Amino acid sequence: MRGRLIHKDDVLKIVDVLRQDHEVVAPFYGRGRDTYFDVVTDANRNAIQIHLPNPYYPPKRYVLPHIQRMFKVKAGTDAGIEPCDESRKRAIFGIRSCDVAGIFHLDRFYLGKEYRDDYYAKFREKLFIVNVVCSDPQIDVDDDCFCVCADTGTAAKDHFDLQLMDLHNGSDFLAVAGSAKGEALFSLPFFKKASAEHVQRRREVLSEVRKRFKVATSWYSAAIRFITGRGVNDETWKIVGDRCLECGGCSYVCPACTCFTVSDRKTGPDEYERVRMWDACALGGFTRMAGGHNPRKAVHDRRNRRFFRKLAHYFMQRELSMACVGCGRCVSVCHGDVGMPSVVEIIRRTTVGEAKP
Amino acid sequence: MINSREQNVYQPKMAVMEDIREEIQDVKTFYWRFENPEDQKAFKTFMPGQFAQMSVFGGGEIAISLPPSPTEDRLFFTTRRVGSVTAAMHAMKPGDRFGVRGPYGNGFPMKDYASRNLIIVAGGIGLIPLRSVIIYALHHREQYKKIQVFYGARTPKDLMYVENLQDWQKDPNFECYLSVDRADEGWKGNVGVVGSLFKKPGVHMPVENTTVFICGPPVMFRFVLADLKGMGFDDRNMVSTLERYMKCGVGKCGHCCIGVAYVCTDGPVFTLEQIQKLGEVI
Repeated sequence: MRGRLIHKDDVLKIVDVLRQDHEVVAPFYGRGRDTYFDVVTDANRNAIQIHLPNPYYPPKRYVLPHIQRMFKVKAGTDAGIEPCDESRKRAIFGIRSCDVAGIFHLDRFYLGKEYRDDYYAKFREKLFIVNVVCSDPQIDVDDDCFCVCADTGTAAKDHFDLQLMDLHNGSDFLAVAGSAKGEALFSLPFFKKASAEHVQRRREVLSEVRKRFKVATSWYSAAIRFITGRGVNDETWKIVGDRCLECGGCSYVCPACTCFTVSDRKTGPDEYERVRMWDACALGGFTRMAGGHNPRKAVHDRRNRRFFRKLAHYFMQRELSMACVGCGRCVSVCHGDVGMPSVVEIIRRTTVGEAKP
Repeated sequence: MINSREQNVYQPKMAVMEDIREEIQDVKTFYWRFENPEDQKAFKTFMPGQFAQMSVFGGGEIAISLPPSPTEDRLFFTTRRVGSVTAAMHAMKPGDRFGVRGPYGNGFPMKDYASRNLIIVAGGIGLIPLRSVIIYALHHREQYKKIQVFYGARTPKDLMYVENLQDWQKDPNFECYLSVDRADEGWKGNVGVVGSLFKKPGVHMPVENTTVFICGPPVMFRFVLADLKGMGFDDRNMVSTLERYMKCGVGKCGHCCIGVAYVCTDGPVFTLEQIQKLGEVI
């Protein structure tokens, strides 16, 4: 196993090493109960958190910025296009396993098919991922999490450069390398050899933390089957649609949502820039065409769309993973309680003929 | 400065407007060329039914049909002024520079239709993508059997590509039938919806070994479909192009996704059978 031991007091030294040639982002506590990813500076370096609730605003924005310049353009007679590249060498320290799976999903989507997204590719190839496993049942995992159902956690199996896990023995973390770049860090003096007992301890911690998960989404695979076979009736989608407030929040916090819209904005006389920004299928204008015709006008059509896109088997084959990583953010964000687990539950109840929820 | 397509699919190539012609009310045809002859050459590989992404800088970018056939020399767009980008387009003048990228989409598999009869049914500005099919098919006339064109517009003033229509009606190599909903004084042809042409004396539409192309407004589409089905045409042999709000044209932005298909990459050309299987109301 490409594993090493590292003392808990040395863990942040990894950040120091990475900061030499990366912009490092890491999770912090805000002023209340909120947590967020931010750029590590000398001032906040010691405030980096290992155990904390997963930040609400997903680290997806470090590969797919919320708003991104695509190119600058001069109109008029001397018109010309100047491409923009806002990517930089960056490391995400402390990204959770669900969000690692989210980035893998984005990889498959943006880089996988006949067209390659150049902007995404530039961000992605410069990214170093240090995954921290959710190992503290009280702090790391909350009631909304369901990564064990989505099979993405609590420990990511792949797609990270380095993985750290608190062994909860008072002193040690187990580090696992997921790439050659990650393995290269093991030459640093604070990485020690791990023994079979440490690997055993890792297993124990993982099996302990699994007990924390309460959300009953064990019906996930059946929901996928029903949605793929179009066995979910319109009535069920209407129930979901009636609860949707069309805020688009679920898409904005989702680590696996990919949709974007594009807009030109004026930056000077005869100068414009084209920007792209996250978009959400919940919003009424998502499919509205010039002239006003909207093929997906009813809200339940748009909700149906979200879950069909995420769970239909066709798309899972295409991207090699479903577009839900079980992070639970849509559960926290949704005022109408139609996050993923809730919808799986609604599908279960209506298709097995129980009373309407 | 301009990247090759492999580098950045979202970055348009510079193009310049050459000539603008008023087609019918609110519809203009824009003749243009790429500034770089290499881009022009690469672009001219398109097939009928494919589309391009056209940028009016500061106005935005839209997906736009390609009315020319790749066998023709000049490139042009024809658009009706409906939204903000087409409004900006209609305000353009010859010499203005803009961006184009593409071609995108699957296009009509014209080679697969070899040695078949082609029936082309267009209503209003639905002729725009089908014009490409007609010109392409006439250029490769020997590859296809019977070719029939049925085109309907609201009034004689709403008939597009008038010069082409005049040529086509004289052309002995194929049949071209026109119809208008409301005639004016000079109109001598058929009056009625485009479907009324199907039953005219002298019109024989072969059902066997035939591909039918249909493009037009939803109402026309529904009635033509009912007529054709009544005549025994099969869903697999009827093709159309779908329109959706699109931002990227390359299957990434997500706006045009219907059921399991992205209209931009899996379409925009679908057979009627495929459209019904998409599982969403079109």
